[in-house]
Amino acid sequence: MEAPPDPGPHASASASAAAPLRAPEVARLREEQEKVVTNCQEKIQHWKKVDNDYNALEERLSTLPDKLSYNIMVPFGPFAFMPGKLVHTNEVTVLLGDNWFAKCSAKQAVGLVEHRKEHVRKTIDDLKKVMKNFESRVEFTEDLQKMSDAAGDIVDIREEIKTDFEFKAKHRIAHKPHSKPKTSGIFEAEFSNDLKSKDLLADKELWDRLEELERQEELLGEIDIDSKPDTLIANGEDTSSEEEKEDQNINVNMMNQVMDSLTPSNCYQNVTNSELFNGQVNSQWNCSINGSNSYHNNEDEEEDDDDGGDNENDHDTLGAEDNSIPTIYFSHTVEPKRVRINTGKNTTLKFSEKKEEAKRKRKNSSGSGHSPQELPMIRTPADIYRVFVDIVNGEYVPRKSILKSRSRENSVCSDTSESSAADFDDRRGVLRSISCEEATCSDANESILDEEQQENHQKKLFPLSVTPEAFSGTVIEKEFLSPSLTPHPAMAHPVLPTIPERKEVLSEVSEGTTKRVSKFKAARLQQKN
Amino acid sequence: MPSRGARPEDGSGLVPTDNSTQHKEDLSSKIKEQKIVVDELSNLKKNRKVYRQQQNSDIFFLADRTEMLSESKNTLDELRKEYQEIENSEKTKIKK
Repeated sequence: MEAPPDPGPHASASASAAAPLRAPEVARLREEQEKVVTNCQEKIQHWKKVDNDYNALEERLSTLPDKLSYNIMVPFGPFAFMPGKLVHTNEVTVLLGDNWFAKCSAKQAVGLVEHRKEHVRKTIDDLKKVMKNFESRVEFTEDLQKMSDAAGDIVDIREEIKTDFEFKAKHRIAHKPHSKPKTSGIFEAEFSNDLKSKDLLADKELWDRLEELERQEELLGEIDIDSKPDTLIANGEDTSSEEEKEDQNINVNMMNQVMDSLTPSNCYQNVTNSELFNGQVNSQWNCSINGSNSYHNNEDEEEDDDDGGDNENDHDTLGAEDNSIPTIYFSHTVEPKRVRINTGKNTTLKFSEKKEEAKRKRKNSSGSGHSPQELPMIRTPADIYRVFVDIVNGEYVPRKSILKSRSRENSVCSDTSESSAADFDDRRGVLRSISCEEATCSDANESILDEEQQENHQKKLFPLSVTPEAFSGTVIEKEFLSPSLTPHPAMAHPVLPTIPERKEVLSEVSEGTTKRVSKFKAARLQQKN
Repeated sequence: MPSRGARPEDGSGLVPTDNSTQHKEDLSSKIKEQKIVVDELSNLKKNRKVYRQQQNSDIFFLADRTEMLSESKNTLDELRKEYQEIENSEKTKIKK
């Protein structure tokens, strides 16, 4: 029984007509939720009685065959009894449902009773869960009610971000470190300094310039800071609601979105940092500080074999504020990334730390020759294609498509010996599921080392490695990728085979023509030839 | 022989609900019932038969009188203990 959602517009006093949280509706919501709770309680009571009855029956059945006959009061009708005897004490007729009966011994009947008790227990557990769930909802609605009574229409949603949260991956470095996206009508901070040429400029000059800009921004900031917090908060709320749909921890990309909407006045503190995204997000979020206490209500997510879509990352908690703006405190729970991984025996498992470790140990001990260190390091998209090669007649042949499972059988990559067509579908599922998510880079790092195949599909999840490369955030248009390809084989791990055909293609292309051919097309042409 | 059916209760107490007062009331009513059972059992003539009802059904099994009496007394004592405990805890709460 689901509690009805908040009802729509209602004819009420003009003052509260526009209010999103109207008292009577909220009260009704609460009533309905409480109804569910009491209903659940009643059902639980009923099922507990049933369980009790079954227990008594079991006890009786276990001792029944001890005597040949029992003296009993035989009922005939609801009120009349007659003394009699109970004979054939071991023969029990059991109702199986739908007016079907089974004749069995007392022991067999005990077994049947056990089976039914199991079902009853399960029902009771489910009801308890539902009750607990709705009890928390009632609590929430109560708080909501208090809050709506207290203040007006504005609700402040705030999320506390721990500063000690370590970003394991390297953040995107802006090409111009102090440049900000253009915001209309607001002061633009543009530095001519490049990341590379920063060293060349004297530090003192830089600081002077920065101070100058800060002063200017402060002037503007004082004007703007009061008018901006609502939009800021609103924007924060939007992005956080987007996040609710994804398995997500605080993500760099998410903060990108938020950052875009912030005015420079609010984030000028970060100008001095070369990296725009640090653990200093705290300062931005606390723009409008009510100075209130915050509390987090993180519900623990059950790590059962539920579907991956059931993750609840968002848990809204309300703080009944005495200040002007009521505040909702919002927090994320850290969820391990749920990834379907192929264990190589036509089964896929959800990602879990223990299983990953166990698998790692298994791999190491199996002596297949692949230890985590020997897996090829993937740094660029080219590396993927280097890894996914087929061995044909002892030579390496680049594959047409890394998604085709058949082509994976002869490949050099790990885990392919056990793969099959069934796995392909699962991998596709992985790809889809992952492409919907923005995973944390720490997971990407981890999984690159171990589950290379899956992560190879996900180009988004490349580790943002130390050296500035293709995914460092700098987008450099190049005519051919040949200059980058040729040094890579030298850099690449010895496990990665070099692909001779590709080089030939490149040399052909680079020789004569200005016509630009993508290396994939070139490879395909080569294969046709 | 004239026989008499007696129905001792299955003396398991209810799980305490939200209010301890409600639980207290339930306990007190159960204690009353149990008291009656004990009194009746102790006032039976020696030739009387005592039957026990099978839970959730109409069948009564013959049972031993003395055994039933002692059983009922035990359940009564247990219920009373529980009641006392709740009373004590409430008193300590009030004192605080």
